[in-house]
Amino acid sequence: MARTRPASRPTVLDGGTSYHAFAIGDESLGAWYDRRLYVETADTASLADSAVVVVPCRLNPDWLADHAGLLIDILRRGDTLVVMGETEPERWLPGAGQTPVPTNFWWWLDPEAELGLAVGAAGHGLWRYLSLADATWHYHGHFRVPPGAISVIDAPEGGSVLLDDRASWPGRLILTSLDPFYHHGSFFMPAASSFLRGFCRWLADGLPD
Amino acid sequence: MSVRLAYLSPRRGRRAPFADLAPGHVRVEAVHEGELTRLAPDACAALLVPMHIDQRRFAAKSAWIDAFFRAGGTLVFNGLLAYPFRPELGVFEPLQRPGLSALHVRVDQSHPVWHGVDAADLTFRRGVAGFYGRGANPPPDGARVIGTLARGRVPVDWEWAVPGGGCLLMHAGNDLWMYARDDSSAAALTPQLLSWCAHGRARNAV
Repeated sequence: MARTRPASRPTVLDGGTSYHAFAIGDESLGAWYDRRLYVETADTASLADSAVVVVPCRLNPDWLADHAGLLIDILRRGDTLVVMGETEPERWLPGAGQTPVPTNFWWWLDPEAELGLAVGAAGHGLWRYLSLADATWHYHGHFRVPPGAISVIDAPEGGSVLLDDRASWPGRLILTSLDPFYHHGSFFMPAASSFLRGFCRWLADGLPD
Repeated sequence: MSVRLAYLSPRRGRRAPFADLAPGHVRVEAVHEGELTRLAPDACAALLVPMHIDQRRFAAKSAWIDAFFRAGGTLVFNGLLAYPFRPELGVFEPLQRPGLSALHVRVDQSHPVWHGVDAADLTFRRGVAGFYGRGANPPPDGARVIGTLARGRVPVDWEWAVPGGGCLLMHAGNDLWMYARDDSSAAALTPQLLSWCAHGRARNAV
């Protein structure tokens, strides 16, 4: 069972990249986190009090692999870990089975084409904050859905591009292959910015399910 | 005698994505971003920095970067500058109205790196604009502007003779070598960049 703590906003890890600087630093997204922790200063003590920790997209997978224990501890102790796209969790997070897919940057050039993502659990709380259109730009892979976990956004190949797993760990894992921080912080891909606005409000509100 | 160029890699054990495109006398070495200062500042003629690095860590090595410039080094910096590593540099400024017309690239083809490169091949990939750049890292006084967006108003590429020695080539967008495998005039950019880097020390000494 997840521990009961006073309501608090997340801690977000910051990899020092330009897109983390601009997306995490974007005040238009609202005050959605309590603490921004540069990875060079992250350790067990600095993460001990965080009920929710966000690993933003494209945080360096080598750093994550080197510090896997720090992140797994968050799930083991009953807290919430949010892991976003292009972080290679299959290398460092047990049970995260990702199937990469060739990224189709061009699908929308054909007016008949669809990216193929679909609403999974329609009643999930995230849908009160964003729409399927907001999640639709491109995606880099999909995850096996562990027994008892919920796929919030389904991939056309099967599997999930965003899942909510309260079954595999004492804590809660939100796992997605989407990379909205990268796109928003690089000033392109308007859908990714819409997604991030909704997603950050959902995080700020305590990830209601 | 071969010329050494260094590629600053954010990932361990990765070669430079353009290593195979270097001229015969040029050797490209990948240096992990955590080990930059183990490299002697005068060991390589040029350092090529990709967009995915930890810029905060890079900027914290400003003493090494200064020594690299003083030794006559050429720094090729790709990406949106969030952590300026010299006092003359400023943070990335995005296009205010990033419509299609603003994304059209203009380049000065008299620069050896962009020689023969059709700006349309930089603007569009499969008919889609916006890959090249979407804003500018503000150029210091005295910089030579090479590439622009927004009808010449936004300096996406520039070259700057650093006071005290060395040269900075700035590209405020995706890595310039992104085009290396394109079937267009833009493919020439990468080998021309590597040749230009290899001649940097002689040029910077003039």
